[in-house]
Amino acid sequence: MASAALPGLDRRFEALVIDWDAAAPWNGDLSPLVEELCGLGLDVAFHTAAGTASVNGLLPARCPGPGRLTVHGDRPAPDAVSRILAECWARGIGPEAVLVVGPDRTRLVERILTDQLDRRRRGDPPVPSPPPDWRLDIDGSDPQFSRVYESLLALGDGRLGTRGSPLVGDGDHTPSVFHIGVYAGTGPDTELAPLPLWSRLGAEEAPGPYRRTLDLRTGVLSGEGPLTSVRFSSLARPGTVVLRAGGSAALLPPHGRHTVPGPVAAAFHDDRRGGVLDRIGVYHPDAATAEQARDAAARAGFERLLYEHREAWARRWAVADIRIDGDPELQRAVRFALFHLMASVTDEGEAAVGARGLTGPGYRGHVFWDSDVFVLPFLAATHPAAARAMLEYRYRRLPAARTVARRYGHSGARFPWESAGEGVDVTPFSARLPTGEVIRVRTGEMEEHITADVAWSAACYLDWTGDTAFAGTAGRDLIVETARYWASRVRYDADGTGHIDGVIGPDEYHEAVDDNAYTNVMARWNLRTAAELDGVPPGESASWRAAAAALVDGYQPETGLYQQFAGFFDLEPVRIAEIAPRRPIAGDLLLGLDRSPRAQVVKQADVLMLYHLVPDELAPGTLLPNLDFYEPRTSHGSSLSPAIHASLLARAGRLDEALTWLRVAARTDLEDITGSTAGGLHLATMGGLWQALVFGFAGVRVTGGRLLVDPRLPSAWHLLDVGLRYRGVPLRLRIGPDAVTVEAESLTVRRAGDLWEVVPR
Amino acid sequence: MSIVLAALDTSATAEPVLAVAHRIGKAFGLPVEVLHVLAGGGRVPEGLAAVGVPLRVAYGDVVDRLVDAGSSDDVAVLVIGARGDQDDPRPLGTTAVGVATAVDKPVVVVPPGADTHAALNRVLVPLEGTRLTSLAPRFLIELGPEAAYEVVALHVLEPDSLPAVTDQPQHEQSVWAREFLARYCPWGIGPVRLVTRVGRTAELVPAAAHELGCDLIVLGWSRELHRGRARVVRTVLEQSPLPVLLVPVPPDRRTAPGVGAVRGVVRR
Repeated sequence: MASAALPGLDRRFEALVIDWDAAAPWNGDLSPLVEELCGLGLDVAFHTAAGTASVNGLLPARCPGPGRLTVHGDRPAPDAVSRILAECWARGIGPEAVLVVGPDRTRLVERILTDQLDRRRRGDPPVPSPPPDWRLDIDGSDPQFSRVYESLLALGDGRLGTRGSPLVGDGDHTPSVFHIGVYAGTGPDTELAPLPLWSRLGAEEAPGPYRRTLDLRTGVLSGEGPLTSVRFSSLARPGTVVLRAGGSAALLPPHGRHTVPGPVAAAFHDDRRGGVLDRIGVYHPDAATAEQARDAAARAGFERLLYEHREAWARRWAVADIRIDGDPELQRAVRFALFHLMASVTDEGEAAVGARGLTGPGYRGHVFWDSDVFVLPFLAATHPAAARAMLEYRYRRLPAARTVARRYGHSGARFPWESAGEGVDVTPFSARLPTGEVIRVRTGEMEEHITADVAWSAACYLDWTGDTAFAGTAGRDLIVETARYWASRVRYDADGTGHIDGVIGPDEYHEAVDDNAYTNVMARWNLRTAAELDGVPPGESASWRAAAAALVDGYQPETGLYQQFAGFFDLEPVRIAEIAPRRPIAGDLLLGLDRSPRAQVVKQADVLMLYHLVPDELAPGTLLPNLDFYEPRTSHGSSLSPAIHASLLARAGRLDEALTWLRVAARTDLEDITGSTAGGLHLATMGGLWQALVFGFAGVRVTGGRLLVDPRLPSAWHLLDVGLRYRGVPLRLRIGPDAVTVEAESLTVRRAGDLWEVVPR
Repeated sequence: MSIVLAALDTSATAEPVLAVAHRIGKAFGLPVEVLHVLAGGGRVPEGLAAVGVPLRVAYGDVVDRLVDAGSSDDVAVLVIGARGDQDDPRPLGTTAVGVATAVDKPVVVVPPGADTHAALNRVLVPLEGTRLTSLAPRFLIELGPEAAYEVVALHVLEPDSLPAVTDQPQHEQSVWAREFLARYCPWGIGPVRLVTRVGRTAELVPAAAHELGCDLIVLGWSRELHRGRARVVRTVLEQSPLPVLLVPVPPDRRTAPGVGAVRGVVRR
């Protein structure tokens, strides 16, 4: 059937909704058509006011899937259509991909079905049609930004990540495939191992313009140009990749199968039917397993793989999505961030989440506190299995951390500042700065707070999940062993005060400082938290409490300020907010490497980070004076900084400032603010963005087994709708200007003083 | 056939101009010819006739004739003296200004004190981090694809163009530098070393050229030397004893978004 015969309908749809009553009776049995269409992934829904039995009698189709045949007996018809559209949405099919055949078109039903069948038989790809706040479009191939685009358009299934390079094109691109936790090299040179490519089809010269669209809702990257294509990294079958490309046959490889060996074997199946290629690949460390999974995926075929992948993403979004009514640009940026966070972390085994996730080679895939403190909370609160895998990564490296602690002459476990496959420190020893100077890198030696950060992430996961199995095993070990480290790390003065000397805090402009407030308070929190755990020998827990009590924290009651480290208040007062041409800015370069260590210029939240992570460890009512003191002294020369400040400013009720920094965080990669997005996306910034929205603006806090909500909503936002999973129960928190409501099967919300508390029904 | 044309007069600059022209010719595989302009009649100095390369003689206004000759299709590069007198405080003498601002092709300007013996081993290419100026050094590969000299790209971060973040400098700088080269040094010359400095470009280019042992500085410019423009060109010509290859680029120097051009920033 010529598509021109169906004006306005000449494209592939993912679901059909048909008014049975207006269309029946049929001239013949539609069952064969419907069965084949469902088998090729189309959802078909009939609605009738005459009872479903009447439909079943006339349409005895049996659909084994993946597409579903459903019959709805709702009345009136608009209600039925709404319900069907909602069900489609839950399977990852947006309304723009659904054809609702109204009463005026029902005479065309058979022709529509036949047309849709023709399209699927000949391999038409799905049409990228998400609304603007669910998509990222890249037009053309500007060589100056092509590598940034590849990062922005990266695909991931948690296990495997692939940069969004054009299928064909020139050498301006850096296509890469990475497998989480699979590294090559040794020591500081350890890097994510580059794996065989699956989404490049060879031709060096791009034969024409093209456009790429990343559907954030379904994780499908579509391309138009010399080849029309869709590709995805299957969230339903992590490690499985799927490409359908059509167009010039000369650009497509022949039919065939092959396996590329390596640290991760890649088994491919190329199915060529004329001008259409279906490529299915599976990456797995074991080649035989890869080939078996490849064959199974090939048997399932493109349509089934697409269907289940789309459903898997829909399930993740159902819990994780955040809606911001009143700020469409921010809305899209938030979904962009959440998409990449979800795509970068596996929920099986262990998850070594590098600073750039699986979106690029930057930072060599090394794992920093970025993953524990910035990325993990989002997953703990939406998809705990992935957070658990991140903690498993740390847990399996406890032996290495114990060895490091012993090497430094201490007890317990000390986690490395930069970690990769083995769990030993892989921080480079030197760096060349933009000034041309080569400096010694001391973070590996001194940025010890990561040890408490790991413990904090374990506690964060426990707060959200109440995972008793974890609490009694890995969680306990992580918190206890890190506490043992701090207990042995504290130096006591004659007056009994405890100190931690020679560290680097989050503010890395100042090295080898004593009593960094962030390090000391996080260590204190670590000690106190461990002391409360069951099974700790009483003598040991008492000693931890004593160490915690002895640790100085730099608090000055007369001002309400915490001193960032011993002597910080004696440094040259510099309000960088007043002298910098803009912020964020690399404050150390602006002031010079000689001056910045001697000045009160701060790279990122240090004291303030404590208000974000462990507010109960701090003197009540002291956020404001510390915010007033430290924020103007902060250059935000770390991509981690803007989101945390947005969160704290929101808590302080300074919503205009909070929005300013929130938007900086939101645009970090989309506008390549750092100039380094080409090397991969800033996952920690994305995690920080989520935290700013949820912990800052929504004011969500899990403490003492309670889920509290204390929102601060900007006037331009009509609604902030946050998805969470608390103690196994998914919920949607809807925050309006005047009220908070909860949508969940077993939870409700009630007033608790000035706050809201989510409680069982 | 393309040539390197050396404009020689009778000043002290003539010797270094010819030496540099030979170096350029050797590096790019081009023959060298000499041009002398007789402004007021008279005879070609004997020394010029004996330099061992073809000599062209033109008559009339020096600037006009040099511009005419330099604009000729067969001239790939014009080499001129910066100024006749080593003690002249101006970066370019009157003749050099007239020629360099009028000729729409690469012009090598040779200061009076330039080393006449140095080989062309290392070329310094300051890059602003803009699309247009990044095109200027493309000329190097067009002329000498097999050139044996090392190219050192220099990017100076001024206060307004400092990076937004340094994050973890042991990783950040390499990611940033790789991307900077990919964007602004896409000439396919082969390995190009990127050197960065923080400060004022005009001051740091001559210093870096000296520090890095470069033999030639390549600068893109809009051929405008009046006050307020070409500060880097003027300062380099004033302060550096190295020959400077000026490559014309269109005057529009809007900064490209992306590297070095932060948009998502908070201004005071």
